This record gives sequence, C-alpha cells and structure tokens, in this order.
Amino acid sequence: MNQHIYTLGVDVGSSLIKVVLMDYSDEPVILDKRTEKIRKRNPEMVSDLLIDQILIDHNLTFADIAYLASTGEGEMLERKLGHFYSMTTHARGGVFLCPGSLTVIDMGALFVRAIKINEAGKVLDYKMTGQCASGSGQFIENISRYLGLSIEEVGATSLKSKTPEVPSGICSVLAETDVINMVSRGISTPDIIKGIHLSIANKIIRLLTSLKAESPVVLTGGMAMNKGMIQAVQELIEESKLGLVIKADPDSIFAGAIGAALWGGFRYYKLNSTKD
Amino acid sequence: MSTGVAKEKSMIIQKEMIAQLSKELSMAKDTGKKVVYTFVPGNISELILSFDMLPVYPEINALQSGMRKKSEGFIRGAEKHGHSEDVCTYVKCDVGMMLAGNIGPNGETVPPPDLLLLSYTGCFTFMKWFETLERLYPGVPVALLHTPYQEAGHITPEMTAYMVKQLKEEVIPKMEKVSGKKYDEEKLKMHLRNSSKVEESIIKIFDSTKNRPSPIDAYFAGVYYIGPINNGFRGTSEAVDYYDELYKEIMVRVQKGLGPITPEGEIEEERFRLVVEGPPNWTHFREFWKLFYDMGAVIVASSYTKVGGVYDMGFRVNPDKPLESLAEYCMNCYTNLNLNQRVDLLSNCITKFHADGFLVNSIKSCNSFSAGQLMIMQQLERKLEIPVGFIESDLVDPRYFSYSNIKNRLESFFQMLEQRKLMVK
Repeated sequence: MNQHIYTLGVDVGSSLIKVVLMDYSDEPVILDKRTEKIRKRNPEMVSDLLIDQILIDHNLTFADIAYLASTGEGEMLERKLGHFYSMTTHARGGVFLCPGSLTVIDMGALFVRAIKINEAGKVLDYKMTGQCASGSGQFIENISRYLGLSIEEVGATSLKSKTPEVPSGICSVLAETDVINMVSRGISTPDIIKGIHLSIANKIIRLLTSLKAESPVVLTGGMAMNKGMIQAVQELIEESKLGLVIKADPDSIFAGAIGAALWGGFRYYKLNSTKD
Repeated sequence: MSTGVAKEKSMIIQKEMIAQLSKELSMAKDTGKKVVYTFVPGNISELILSFDMLPVYPEINALQSGMRKKSEGFIRGAEKHGHSEDVCTYVKCDVGMMLAGNIGPNGETVPPPDLLLLSYTGCFTFMKWFETLERLYPGVPVALLHTPYQEAGHITPEMTAYMVKQLKEEVIPKMEKVSGKKYDEEKLKMHLRNSSKVEESIIKIFDSTKNRPSPIDAYFAGVYYIGPINNGFRGTSEAVDYYDELYKEIMVRVQKGLGPITPEGEIEEERFRLVVEGPPNWTHFREFWKLFYDMGAVIVASSYTKVGGVYDMGFRVNPDKPLESLAEYCMNCYTNLNLNQRVDLLSNCITKFHADGFLVNSIKSCNSFSAGQLMIMQQLERKLEIPVGFIESDLVDPRYFSYSNIKNRLESFFQMLEQRKLMVK
C-alpha cells in the first residue's frame, strides 16, 4: 500500500469531462487536473482514457487509487467507488478553491444554480434557473459559434463592449432571433456578446436575491472561466446593490471534480475507520 | 428495492370497470344509449347516469393516449388543423383523436356526443374546447353550467342558488330532451348516496399516507386510484365496491408495514415524503415515477388527485339536497379554489402527512394549474420553512419532456432534502 492516499474526482458534464487527481494523505493537494471534450464519444470511454493517462503520467496504477468518485453525469463509470451529487461537489470544491465562501454559483452548460452553504461547504439551500437554455453556458456557445467566435475568445471580446445590446432573456430561441437582428443592424460583436452575458447575469442576480445569498460568492463551472461573464455578474451586483463579493479561481471549472475527489477522500477515511 | 409487482384485486376490478364502459360506449349507437361529453373537474356524472346516458371525459382519453404514446401524432394533427403550439395539449390531443377517426386509446371507437355538457370549474380553456367540439360536431346541443369561482374563499348561498337555477333551467331540460326521459330525483338521490359512500372511502384511502411507511403513493398511484370516480363511475355501486376493496388492500399493507407498490416493485425504504402540486406528465409516466422510486421518494399528497373533487375540507354530497350538492361539489373542486385556499390546503397536507418537501410540476400548456404556482411555492416555503422544488414538463406533449433537465432538478431537490434531514438530526 502506497503511503499516499490518492483520490480521483471525475465530473462528467454535457460536453466536457473534468478529472482531478488529489493527494488526500495530509492537507489535500491537487496533483493534476485535465479536461477533455466529449465530442459525441462515449463519456465513459473518454473518462477512462483521461484517468489512465493521468495514472501513467504519475507513475501510478489504478490499484494505487484509494477512491474514485464521480459527479455530474458520471454515474455510469464502472470503476467508481461512489457517486456524489453535483450540488455537494460544487459546494465542497468551491470552498476548497475560495475558503470562507458562503454562496456558490455553479454556472454550467445546462443551467445556473446558486447554492447557499455554510463554512464547511454543507448545502443549506439552492435556486436554479428555469428549464430554458437561455440561462446556460450552452447558449453562449451556440451564439458565439453563430458569431464566428471560438469559446475561448468570448470573454475577451465581451470586455471590449462599449454599449451592450441585451437580447430577450426569457427564451433562447427569441434571443437567437434578437442576435440575428442585431447582426443585420450592424451591432458590434463585443456589444452582442456582452448583452448575452448581461442577460444571463440578470438571471443570476434574481437567483441570488431569492436565495438571500451571503458573501463571499464563488463562481464554479465552465462559465466561471469566462472573464466577460464574471464582469457582467459583477456589474449587475453593483447595480443591484446586493453588496456581494464575487470570487473566481483559475481552477473554477474543476470545482465539481475537486469536490468529488475531496468527498472521495473523506469517505475513504470514514470507511476505513468503520473497519477498524 | 423489491422486484416484480403482483396485481391486486382492486387493480383487476378497475381494469374490468373501465373496459366495460369503453365497450358500452363503442356500442352506444346499437344500444341507443345517449352519450354526454363532459369534464372531470365538476363532473356531475350522477345526473348524467340518472338519465341513463353514458359519459365521456375528453381529458381522460387524452391522458390515456399520452400513456400509450399516441398523443404526439394527435397533437400534430390538431396543430395542422390550426391550433397553436401554446394551446392545452389535452385539447389538441382530443381534437387530433377526433380528426383521426375518434378511435379511443384502447382501440374502441368513441361515439360522437349527443350532448356537450360544459360544466367547467376554474379552467376557462374548457369553454374554448367545447366551442371547438361544437364546430366539429355541428348541431349537437350544448348545456352550459357555469361554476362561480371561489374568489372570496367561500361559497355563498347566492352562488349555490345561481348554480341550482342553471341546473333546473338549462342542464336538466336539455338532458330531458336528449335522453327522452323525465328528470327522476329519486334516481339522482340513489346515485348521490353511492357518491357519498365513495367520498368517505376516498378520504380514508388518502389519509392512509399518515402511516410510516406510507402504504400508497398519493400522486403516481393516486391518479390511478381516482380513476373510477373521475371516469364514469361516480355515483355507481361498482365504485362503492371498488373503493371498499381498495381500502381493504391498503389496510393490509398498513398492518404489514409495507410501502407503496410501483411499476418497478415495492418501495422498501421510504427516504423522502413529498407533497406534489400540478398534474403528472403522462407521456413518460413510468420514467417520471421511476425517478422518485430510485430515490425512495413517496408522494404523501398531491393536488391533482383533487381536481375531480376536494373532500379534505369537509365537503360531502348530501343526497337529501341533490341539486345543491351537485352545485357545491362543482364549486369545491381544486381548480375552483382561490390561490390562498390552495396554499392552505397544501399546507395542511404537508403538516398532516409529515412531508419533508414540496414539489411543483409546472405544466407548459396548462394555465389553470400553472398560474399561481410560484406564489404557492414561495408562500409554503416561507410559512413552513420546507425545501421546495420546481420542475417543468407537459401533460401529453412528449416534446416538452426533457428527462435530463427534470433529473438534474430533482437531484438538486433530493439532495436538499437529505441535507435538511441531516441538519434536523
């Protein structure tokens, strides 16, 4: 048995898989983190490839892993020892990245979820956007594709906006029509993208208000990598006078996987103490 | 969790009852029986039966078409005919079925109406629905029974008198004309006596969820249990026998400490107790139910089982005052209650049945249910400090059922429930 306690957290999203390798033996430390787009492949197969690659790169075998924990849509992973709800993992991962956070905004491809937590990362309450895709990262991806931008360019483009044009925030189909109309009216790409960000940020403000969110607020999920999105949320928070402090970490996209790896380590110790 | 589901006697009885009614309806032309189309909420079936006529409930046909995966084609047919995407999908399913030859969900022909009895409670779409049917069945008489909404939260003597007047001057004369029979009050009283017995049984059946574990699921199974009283058997002796048998079976489950029967098997560990507001999704009924089964979630009360009549607040038909009883029955249906009354009713259910959470299934195409649901949810959350959840689907349009979306939302909700339970411990 290796003296290190290695745990793996695998977060299977709708388009991206995130894997984190942690050393849980003392203070939990992230040893490695990877992402891979699914691209119409079998998510389990993609996850396995990522896991195996990480193990090879760290000179480990699967037997060295104390606990493999899945989250998101990762329940199908055959090698997992446990599956954790994404709300719990994002909460735990959010606190790991930004200690002291009392609210987590999980901004994923399918929805945005505001989660109220305590200092230990325990979930107290939550609110989610509605079923419509107009409150999701996938929507930004669709619009950016339509405007000829790669997803990596979206944030920087949004920051260049001078007079943002906000589309319908109710329905993604209506918003797409708005965008087509904006393009034909000669509205600049940065103003359109910023408008989209503000429209989603508006929904986030409503969630935070109804949740009675407390500071600090940590952003997690794929959209937390988007500087334009963070800027839009910050602007509307100032405008709404909610007085919340927003934090994001370069590893925010891994929050779910980090949370899973942490919960995996916690459960590993729990199981072993029961055996003793 | 257990595997395999044995059919209980009551299930067999209900199946036979519904099959018998379908058969009678398909043979109505040959037997000369007159057919009345009417709606489940505020269905005055006792009066229809007292004239020896047969009732047809278009919503029931629509939901059964949904369960048998036939509704999408019917809905598309109605949309081609000019109905908007936003129109109630019960309406479009019914209209589409009629346009496709009116073959019912079980393959039997549904006869055309001899009378459209437009008794509507709370749902104004019903009025437009029968206006459409009136055009599709030219010349068929329409009897309108307007149910006053409980705007002030109670029924006044004037409201009852207004309804009785309509029954006497509009509904009964039209029924006499169509059936060729005179109004027989004694016969109506006899049917109401049966209804009264059934109402008592229904209350006892749905009260059984007070037990831990609850012996029944009051939503997914609940909508099945209310089948006979909402589908042609209100006021019949068959309904009395069916509910007696069902109650006996439930009591056996209580004595043995058994959980609810589901299509996946018995729920052996009751982890969460919920109250649900809003109709279920019918096109993916089993998958929808399984999401709850997998989590050990049992529904201990639901509003949709009360659309055909609310008995929790003390109302019972009084056979000695037959027309007044029919009027009050209509006015007491769930969708005819104002929003504060609905909050109170649901709040009582949450408290009485010790629910851990409250869930809304918001229906895309049903305004009468969806209007006010957010307010209801917020009030209950504030008043009872209970975890609440909100999911969206549709009645019978499968295009609006997004499994992943619902699963995501339910997972968050169940996780919240789990956390609250841990905190309480």
